[in-house]
Amino acid sequence: MNRIREVLKNQQFILVLALAVMVAFFSIKNPVFFSIPVFGNILSDWAPVVLMAVGETYVIMSGGIDLSVGSTVGLSGVAAAFVMRSMTTAGQNQNFTILVGTFIAMGVGLLIGLVNAFLITKARMVPFVATLATLGAARGLCIVTTGGGPIGEGPEKAISYSVPWFGPLNTPGIIIIVIVAICGLFMHKAKLGRYTYAIGSNSFAARSAGINVKLHLAKIYVLSGVLSGLAGMYLYIRLGSGSPSSGASGELMAIAAVVIGGASLSGGVGRMSGTVLGSLILTTVTSGLIIIGVAPNWNQVVVAVLIAGAVFIQGFRTWTKD
Amino acid sequence: MSNSTTPLYEVRNIGKQYGSVVALDGVNFKIHAGEVIGLVGDNGAGKSTLVKALSGAHQPSSGEILLEGKPVVWKSPHDALEAGIETLYQDSGLAPDLSVSANVFLGREKVVSGILGKLGFLSQKQMDKEAHEDLERVGIAVPASNRSVSQLSGGQRQAVAIGRAVSWARKVIILDEPTNHLGARQAAEVLQIIKRAKERGLGVVFISHTLPHVLQVTDRIVVLRLGRVVADAPTSTFDAEKLLGTITGLIETK
Repeated sequence: MNRIREVLKNQQFILVLALAVMVAFFSIKNPVFFSIPVFGNILSDWAPVVLMAVGETYVIMSGGIDLSVGSTVGLSGVAAAFVMRSMTTAGQNQNFTILVGTFIAMGVGLLIGLVNAFLITKARMVPFVATLATLGAARGLCIVTTGGGPIGEGPEKAISYSVPWFGPLNTPGIIIIVIVAICGLFMHKAKLGRYTYAIGSNSFAARSAGINVKLHLAKIYVLSGVLSGLAGMYLYIRLGSGSPSSGASGELMAIAAVVIGGASLSGGVGRMSGTVLGSLILTTVTSGLIIIGVAPNWNQVVVAVLIAGAVFIQGFRTWTKD
Repeated sequence: MSNSTTPLYEVRNIGKQYGSVVALDGVNFKIHAGEVIGLVGDNGAGKSTLVKALSGAHQPSSGEILLEGKPVVWKSPHDALEAGIETLYQDSGLAPDLSVSANVFLGREKVVSGILGKLGFLSQKQMDKEAHEDLERVGIAVPASNRSVSQLSGGQRQAVAIGRAVSWARKVIILDEPTNHLGARQAAEVLQIIKRAKERGLGVVFISHTLPHVLQVTDRIVVLRLGRVVADAPTSTFDAEKLLGTITGLIETK
């Protein structure tokens, strides 16, 4: 019993183990699974999820929640698509167009993050309600501006960036891994993360220690928005167009990844490595089930079981403390 | 040293209203360097409100606050901290999920040198070491600096919270119920820490319901009742019975 306890106390170990078991299981069921193209596909699914989940980790660690990440992905992709379509029509250089598109997508994310920050810190709305409002507003704008269909006719070169060249990884994937690593370092080694944990752990203590809690929360929601904006651009590159429905239910994936990673929704507890592994587990399961021929509708059930399992293990660790 | 006749910290005619409720009504009191003031009163007497005004958590509705004879306005607790005034709040002074040293240095983290330091990267080892030294200096023996506060006992947590406040305070330290929930031995240690803070020339505001502690450690006692100061006199003029009578209003003053 003691040994089981010791092992269960190490969340990261459990997550790695779970991932290894899944890969082994899917590979035995269908050997095609264990291949570079499939891994490449999993990583392409993972990239936008992990971007949203990393921002969500900061928000959840601070004791809040950001429900708007999925809609931000959609709206930022659509906005970038409109700008890139005009630039392409005007005959602009393709790489330059893609670069501008990326900044537009990040800018839209930044704006939504600012709106969230304003609603939460100035209008004193609860994060759940504030970001529920921006979730609806951003998705609504996606439909209104596009009329419901994808916006294409952008730079043809965009989709070529989604081709893997470094094992299963493509260029945007590599950039995203670097961004995730940097966000992890800021979370665990720098003031940004320290204050985030402090606020999530005891916001009164944080405030009385002289931390500008509102400013800090604003930074976190803006960060979450910008990362989701990047995810929007990533999906544009993958699909070659900006779809008004892209990122739909992304917030649930992001929150699930954070929770599976071992974070507490009440804030203060969790690690970025948990989120990275949690999102990898989610996308591996999704792809694996398809490859072994399980009907896609089972996906949601399996994800639900994963979340319940993760929460159970977390509870188990808490009961068995000491 | 400043002129000993100039109070280190002073509130003049402080008032605070929450809507139609008057929490503080024309409160005056002074504290000198190296002096321990006991602030007592029944529940609802206005102690917490006064503490919040002194620590910058709330702005008073009227009156003024003077630090070393100069009027000051605290817009946030940060302003008061910057000016050398530390506050230990009842119960909720620490972030339980953070380590001991992270709590001691919360809001005043040491960063590494160079560009990474500008980005806010922390010098964790140095903070662990200094936190340990700081706590020892104020007379607190605490387990490893890198342990999370949630793993400490209630007494140890309180010790860390007090140690944090005392080691950072440069002028005034405000302790709101620091001996609450502590055993007799731990409470005695806290009183010892207060005496040491006094010897360092700090002004100490000690808020407590435990009247024997107040009588034991303070130089002056300020009694609040229904938002007003009803007594402000040297501790030597009080005994337990008189103090209790003044707090409850059974003994009428003035």
